[in-house]
Amino acid sequence: MPTQPPLPPLLAPYVSSLPHSSLTVLSSVLGATGNWLVLRFLYAALSSSSNSETAFGLNGSDGVKNRRVVLVSFLRGWEFWRSEAKRLGLDLARLTDKRQFAFIDGLSELFYNTTTATATPQQLFPGTAAPRTVLPVRSQPSPVPARTPHPVPRPGNVSTNPASREIGPVKRLHLSGNGTAALDALERDIATVIQQLKASTPGEAEEPEVLLIVDQPDLLLAATGPNKGIGATEMGDWVMGLQQNTHATILTLSSDSPLIHNASASAPHPATPLETEHAAFAIGSAHRAQMVMQLRNLETGAARDVSGVLRVSKGGAWGQNEVGTEGNWEEREVLYFVQRDGGVSVFGRGE
Amino acid sequence: MAPNLSHRQTHNLLLISKLLSLRDTASPLTLLLDSLEQPATPLVKEYIRRAKISKVHVTLIAFETLKPLDGVDAFVSARRKSPSQIVKEVGAAYQATAAKASSPRRLILIDSINPLLLSKTNDAHSQLSTFLSSFLIPPSPSAPKVEVSLVVTFHQDVPSPPAQSPYSPSSLSMLIYLATTIIRLHSFSHILAQKAARDRSLAAPVFGLEEEQDGVLLGRLDKPIGKDSTEGIVLEMEHRRKSGRGVLEWYILPPASQYSPQHLKEVVTLLDDHPLYRPPEEPEAGAGEEEPESTFELRLTDRQRREREGVVLPYFDAQQGDGPGEGGRILYDMGEEDDFDEEEDEI
Repeated sequence: MPTQPPLPPLLAPYVSSLPHSSLTVLSSVLGATGNWLVLRFLYAALSSSSNSETAFGLNGSDGVKNRRVVLVSFLRGWEFWRSEAKRLGLDLARLTDKRQFAFIDGLSELFYNTTTATATPQQLFPGTAAPRTVLPVRSQPSPVPARTPHPVPRPGNVSTNPASREIGPVKRLHLSGNGTAALDALERDIATVIQQLKASTPGEAEEPEVLLIVDQPDLLLAATGPNKGIGATEMGDWVMGLQQNTHATILTLSSDSPLIHNASASAPHPATPLETEHAAFAIGSAHRAQMVMQLRNLETGAARDVSGVLRVSKGGAWGQNEVGTEGNWEEREVLYFVQRDGGVSVFGRGE
Repeated sequence: MAPNLSHRQTHNLLLISKLLSLRDTASPLTLLLDSLEQPATPLVKEYIRRAKISKVHVTLIAFETLKPLDGVDAFVSARRKSPSQIVKEVGAAYQATAAKASSPRRLILIDSINPLLLSKTNDAHSQLSTFLSSFLIPPSPSAPKVEVSLVVTFHQDVPSPPAQSPYSPSSLSMLIYLATTIIRLHSFSHILAQKAARDRSLAAPVFGLEEEQDGVLLGRLDKPIGKDSTEGIVLEMEHRRKSGRGVLEWYILPPASQYSPQHLKEVVTLLDDHPLYRPPEEPEAGAGEEEPESTFELRLTDRQRREREGVVLPYFDAQQGDGPGEGGRILYDMGEEDDFDEEEDEI
């Protein structure tokens, strides 16, 4: 199969122009994950600005807006996103230096308690994680090489070098306290990063458009839950608070059957609090979204040349405000195939 | 049958017109039950459009809307607020915006009541009726009388939290009990698909979340271009009169692009009157000629008919009485195509 363009043409209209203050929900299942789609969003927002250096004057005139991206990931670390983006030709570390991109790590130290960290001695990760942590982040003039977050948080092993926390390109979230207060603190942290990104170019008259991608915040909901006073409403309010700071927001959520359907009224068993809250958060988010992109497995079973089905639908909030030409897109269902090299082809059924 | 139908037509069309235009406070509390398959947004916009035409003050209490909708006079964000705070803010917002044009009528929209019901911090479930009625009851007896209509949207597909007490009703039952009008929203194309299946005695198809398919939240897809007429939303209305009698009716609201925002005539029609839902009966073709149709040619040509008439049946011959034994013989004139058989035929 020939090499695919980084942005498949069928996909381009959906990922490149998101209406102002809109919410896009990207739902995925275990067998059809949405990382590749998140990367396509990143590429659509960031590639035009990085290309303008190499192909100067080609992109500048057609009204390419000044775009920045903040990626908050609760399920995957910096190293994952950096290497995956590199396969698309996006150098996230360089974009971070240029203040066009910021990564917020919601995974590594989300439940990391600062008081215990100072007590435990500095300790490198044993086993497999150790060689990855010594990779220095390029072009970062720092006395200590920045540590990359390890992919799986392990209780007892979560301590990192306190100095490295500040100098890496990564802002790490910490959850402390209960209920809305804890969420408010997270919101403040993220909003600070967004504001820094917005303020980084005072010379430009036009305020940059900041695209916020929140990757799998359902982890936050699952890890805290009603016991800590965090439920679907609180999460929804949290997302709304984040939306107020940004041009557009993309939310990726899991929509596997047990998480969605066990809580429905027709389910035979009473649902657990997690099932209820997750379903309420996911479905409620879809109600508030302009666009819902759903990834799922092929109904007819696994195929060698199809990875899954992407269905783009209009969410519950579609048509609330007159959005002009940006709101004119068609609902569509296409197949996609992620190749081994990370390239993605998107095609209609039977094509 | 026919006068009955036209009576129902005029009567129920007047009723929905009164309800949507908020005339005579026909329904103080309207409950919109929507789902991802058919969100209430078009109907809410229709409420606002009609309110603008008749100069009704519109307040939107936003639990999940970020930006105020067009035509809303007062926008109150309910994010992280307790019910009592919301009531207070709605009152303040009305005082601030309605001062210049004191309209005797108000429309209060709640974009989604689900977040309030699911909220962990405030025990909204038990306060639901108090919260809703506090908008309808005037703050003080001395205040000028304002006719308030409250329109609350409830997303049916968002699961409700388990009830605190096993004996207390669910919040949806509570809302349905309190509401004076309940409007369930359906997508017209789904209604058509379900009707087509029913007409063929098949199980009606389900869409979106009800499919219970892994990874499917929304089943709705735009119809292919050229079938614009399947757009529109179907309203299943249940109105409770003051007398307690209920009125049930199905309506269809066409998409907003089909009429101008200033359109004054009623745009809603009965679902039964829609040509796609109930196609006009075709006049019976060829009712005069009762002829069985078949691939065989059953009719006679003129020659065959003449020859058939020429056959003299045996009993006519017997009546002539040429002699004993003569009557009843079968007389047959051989045609050219007949072979003579000595054993059987005798002349």
